[in-house]
Amino acid sequence: MSTRTEPARLPRNPLFPLGVDYYPQGSDTSAPGEWYGDDFDSEFDAFRQARITLVRIYMSWKAFEPQVGVYSEQALSRLREIIESAGAHRLNLILCFFARVPGASLTDVAWGREKDPHTDPYLIERQAALIRSVVEAHCDDRAVFGWELADEAFCAAFESVADLESWVETMRDAVREFDDRHPVMVGADAETLFHTSRIDARAALSTCEVGIVHATPSYRGYIAEGPVLAPDSTHLGSYLLHCAPRGRPLLCDGIGPHTLDSSHAEEAALVRCALYATLMNGGSGALVRRWRDAAVERRTPYYLDPYEALVGLVDDESHDKASMQELRSFSRMVARLDLRALTRPVDEVAVLVPSERMAVPPTLASLYAPRSCLAAFARAKEAHLPVTTVREQDPYDPYAMIIVPSVTDLAEGSLEELATWVQRGGSLVYSYGGGEFGLVARELFGVDFLGHGGVRTKATCRIAQRDVLSGVEPFETRVDMGHFALLAPGEAIVLATDDSGNPLVTLNRRGQGQAICMAVPFERILGQGGLFGASAPVASFLRALYAAVGGMSGCAPKVTCDAFETEVVLLSGDDEDVLLLLNHYARDVTANVRFERRVASVSPVAGGSAVTVNDVAFGVPLGPFGVASLRIVYG
Amino acid sequence: MSEHVTRLAQAEEFARQGNVAAALAAAEQALSVDDKDAHTHCLLAALMLDEGFNEPAVAAAARAIEIDTQCAAAYLVLGLAYDRIGGMGDRSVLVWHELAEVAPDLAIAYVQLGEALYSAALHDEAVSAWERALELDPRDSRATYLLAIAAQSRQGTGAALAGFRRAAEFDLGQDEFFFALAGFERLAPPPAALDIAHIGPGAAKRLEVAYAFAAHEEYLKAAELIRAVLSESPDTVSALALAAYLYLKQDAINEATACALRAVALDGSDAAAIYALGMTLARRPALAHHATRLFSTLAEIAPSHTMSFVLLAESELALQHYAAAGDAYDRAIALDPGSVRALFGKAVVSLTQGDHSSAKWALGRAARFDIERAGCFWALYDGMAKGACQQ
Repeated sequence: MSTRTEPARLPRNPLFPLGVDYYPQGSDTSAPGEWYGDDFDSEFDAFRQARITLVRIYMSWKAFEPQVGVYSEQALSRLREIIESAGAHRLNLILCFFARVPGASLTDVAWGREKDPHTDPYLIERQAALIRSVVEAHCDDRAVFGWELADEAFCAAFESVADLESWVETMRDAVREFDDRHPVMVGADAETLFHTSRIDARAALSTCEVGIVHATPSYRGYIAEGPVLAPDSTHLGSYLLHCAPRGRPLLCDGIGPHTLDSSHAEEAALVRCALYATLMNGGSGALVRRWRDAAVERRTPYYLDPYEALVGLVDDESHDKASMQELRSFSRMVARLDLRALTRPVDEVAVLVPSERMAVPPTLASLYAPRSCLAAFARAKEAHLPVTTVREQDPYDPYAMIIVPSVTDLAEGSLEELATWVQRGGSLVYSYGGGEFGLVARELFGVDFLGHGGVRTKATCRIAQRDVLSGVEPFETRVDMGHFALLAPGEAIVLATDDSGNPLVTLNRRGQGQAICMAVPFERILGQGGLFGASAPVASFLRALYAAVGGMSGCAPKVTCDAFETEVVLLSGDDEDVLLLLNHYARDVTANVRFERRVASVSPVAGGSAVTVNDVAFGVPLGPFGVASLRIVYG
Repeated sequence: MSEHVTRLAQAEEFARQGNVAAALAAAEQALSVDDKDAHTHCLLAALMLDEGFNEPAVAAAARAIEIDTQCAAAYLVLGLAYDRIGGMGDRSVLVWHELAEVAPDLAIAYVQLGEALYSAALHDEAVSAWERALELDPRDSRATYLLAIAAQSRQGTGAALAGFRRAAEFDLGQDEFFFALAGFERLAPPPAALDIAHIGPGAAKRLEVAYAFAAHEEYLKAAELIRAVLSESPDTVSALALAAYLYLKQDAINEATACALRAVALDGSDAAAIYALGMTLARRPALAHHATRLFSTLAEIAPSHTMSFVLLAESELALQHYAAAGDAYDRAIALDPGSVRALFGKAVVSLTQGDHSSAKWALGRAARFDIERAGCFWALYDGMAKGACQQ
C-alpha cells in the first residue's frame, strides 16, 4: 500500500498538469445505468496524493435525460457532488459530454435510439440543451478546468467532415452561451481520428482552445507494428505531438497500457517513456488512461475494443503497480520545474507530412506516408536534431532543414516552394518514393531521371564523398525495396552509390542551400519493416545522413550526445538549464553529453546533492528505457 | 479474355514478383470492371496484408468471403490480419475454425487456431489444436515449438528445451548449414545407378560423392564411401566430420563424439568438425557448457550464417544463460529476420525475462514468415482458381 501523506504539502506543477481518465463504472458487473456509483471521494483523495491535478469525467446523457426534456435530479445531484468533492481535493475536472465508453452506454438514450445522434437535428438540439444546462449550473465552479464536447470514439462515428464541423460548432456555441472563460475541447487527435474514420477533423479541432494528442491502439498497430516498447513506437507520442496544430496547449492523454499483454515492468516503462516524451516535446500536460484496473469478468476469448481501458496504475485492490511509481516519481520531478523560466530548443528541422497522406479513399501512398514520416522523425531524433513536422501547406521558412521521406507525389506547387526555400539557404533531404521526377525535381536535385529501377531485395551503399558524409558507413543488407530511381548526375555531386555504381545519394548546391536526393525510399523501408533484423543498417545510415546534413545546415544542438538511443532535450533558463534524457532502447546506455560551456555541477531535478563536473562533457548512465533529469549549473 | 480476367492475371503476376504497387493498381482496375469477384478481393487483401495494412486487408478479405464462403485463401488472410492487429481473440478463433472447415487438411489452420486460443488463455484447447496440426503434418515445426512454449509455462524451461530439440530436427536448414560449413553446398543427387565401388580415383572424389549421398539422405551409401576414405587416409578431417554427422543422424552419440573429437584434434579450426562436436556435446546435458564454447567458436569462424548464432543461442538457453541467449538470437535475427527458429527462441527468452510484448511479437513474426515461406496463400489461392476453372 502507498504511504499516505498530507495532501496540502504535495506541490504540483500548474504549467504541466498530470491527469487521469476517471470512468463511470469500475467493473464489468456495474449496471449500465450506474453512473459514478463508486466512492469517488476516496478515489479523488488517491488522485490528489499522486499529485494529479486533472480528472476527466464522462457525462451520461442516458442518466441525465431519461425522458425527453426531463433531467434526472439524481444525476444532477451526483454531478454536483462530484464537482464539490473535486474542488475539496483541489482537483480540476474536464467534463466530457458525449463519449463512447465501452459497457457504459452513456449516449444511448432510450427515446432517441432510432435516430443518429451525430446528424439528427432534434437529437443535436437535445445534446446542446444538455450542455447548456450543465454549463450554466457549473461554469463558476472552481473545480471545472474545461468542457470536452466529445471523445474520439464518438467523433469516429461521424460520416462526413461537414457533419462533424457543424456538430462541434453547435455544441461549442452552447457552451459559450454561458461560459466564455473555460476552454472548450474535443477529445480527438486529428491524425488518429483520420486513420479510423477518414474524417479530416483538423478544421473542427482548430476551433478548440486546448488540443488533445494520443496514440490509439489501432493507430499504434498501424504506424509502428511491433512491441509497444520498440524504438519507433516509443517516439510515437512525440511524433503525434509535433503533428498536432501549433499555437495552443496540447494535452497528451491515453497514457498507459492498451492491452492486457504487457508485464508490470513493460507497463511501467511505457508510462515513463510517454510522460517524459510529452514533457520533452512541448506537451502541456499528460493524462493517464486509467487509475484502477477494471474488475472484469473472465472473458474467453477476449476481444479488445480499441477504446476500452482495462489496465490502470493500481490494481483492483488499490495496490500500486510499478507504473504508479513511475507517475509518482515523474510528478515529483515535474513539480520542481519552473516551466515559466525554461524554454525548449527551437525546432529547426522538420519532417514534411505530404498532402497525399490525406487521400480519401486511401491510396497506397497515403497508407505508407505516416510510417515513413515516423521513421524519419525517429531517426532525426536519434541524430539529436531538434525535429518537428510540417505540412505541405505550412510555411517552410522557420526551418533550416526539411526531410521529405519517401513521398510518391507532392501537391502542385510544393516542390517549387521547396526549391525557393533551398535557394534561400534551406537544406532539403528527399527520398524517392515512386512516381515520376518532373522538370522542377530534376533542376532542384541536379539529376536526370532515367526511370524506375524495379523491385530489389538487396540494399547496398558505397560512400563516394567521405568528407561530406562524415559518419555515414557503407552497408549491404537484404531488404525489400519497392522502388529505385535510376539517376544520372547532372550538376549534382554523387555522395554514395549502390554496388553497381548507380547514384544512391546526390547533393546539389543551389543558391545558398542544398538539395540531397536519395534514390531509394529508405524511410519507407524502415516504416514497413520496422527496426528489426536487416533494416538496422538502413536505420544507422539514415541517422548518420541526417546528422551530417544537420551539421552542414547549422542545426547542431547545443548539447551533443554520443548515444543515439537517448533523446536529449536541454530546457534553457536564465540562471540554470535543465537537461532531460530518455533512453528509447531496452538496453543499458551511457549517454556522454557535451556542452558548449563548462558545466560546474549537475544535480537531480527531483532532489539530491549536486555533483561537481568542471568540464564541458560528462556521462549519464541510463538503464533500459531509463530517464534522467538534471539541473545544469555553468561556471 | 475479358478485361477483368486480364487485369487480374496482371495483378497476380505482379504480386508474385513482389511488385506491390503495380499489383494493387491492376487489382483495383480489375475491381472497377467486376467488383463481385472473390479472387480479386482476396488478392487485394493479401497485398494489403503483405504491406502491413491490416484494416484494409480485413475489409477486402471479408468482402471475398461474403462473395465466396469457401474462399480458403481469404480466411487465411483474414485470420492473419486479425492476429496482427491483436486483441481480436473471438474473431480470430472464429476465422481459424472456418478455415479448418473449408480446408480440413491444412495444418496451419490448427496451428493458428491454437495460437488464437492460447492468447485467449484457453491453454488446453490450444494444445489440442496444435496436436491436431501435428497429426496432419508431423513435421510442422511451429506446432512443435508452440507446444514447447506451452510446456515451458507449465513445466519450466527443461520441458521447453526437449520440444525445441524435436522442432530443430525438422529444420532442414541445419543440415544445409553443416554442408555449407564443409564446403559442399547444394550438391546434386548422385545418379541412382552409380556403383560406389568404382568411384574415384582418389579420396577427394569419394568424399564429394559421400557428402552428396548424405545430403540426399542416402546415409548407408555415404557411410560406405566414408569408410573407404578413412581406410585410405584416417586423418581426413572432412571425412571424420561427415562420419560424426552420419552417426548423429543415427543417434549414435558416442561414436559421433569420437569421430568429431578426432577431427577437431586434427584441425581445431575446421568449421564442420566443430559443428559436429558441438552437436554431439549438446546432446549430453552434463557437457552442454562445452557445446557453448564450441558454438561460440563456430560463430566467430562463420559469422555470416544465421545458424551459427541460433546454435550458440540454444546452447546458452540450455544453460539458462538467458541474456547471452537473447544476444545470440538477436544476432541471428539480424542476419535473417525471418528465421522461425531464432524467433521462437527469442520468444522463450523474452518470456523468461517478463518481456511479454516482445515475445508475442516474435511469435507473430515467426507465424508470418513461416506461412510466407510455405507459400500457403498462393497454394490456397491457386487451388481456388483451379476449382473455379473446373466448375
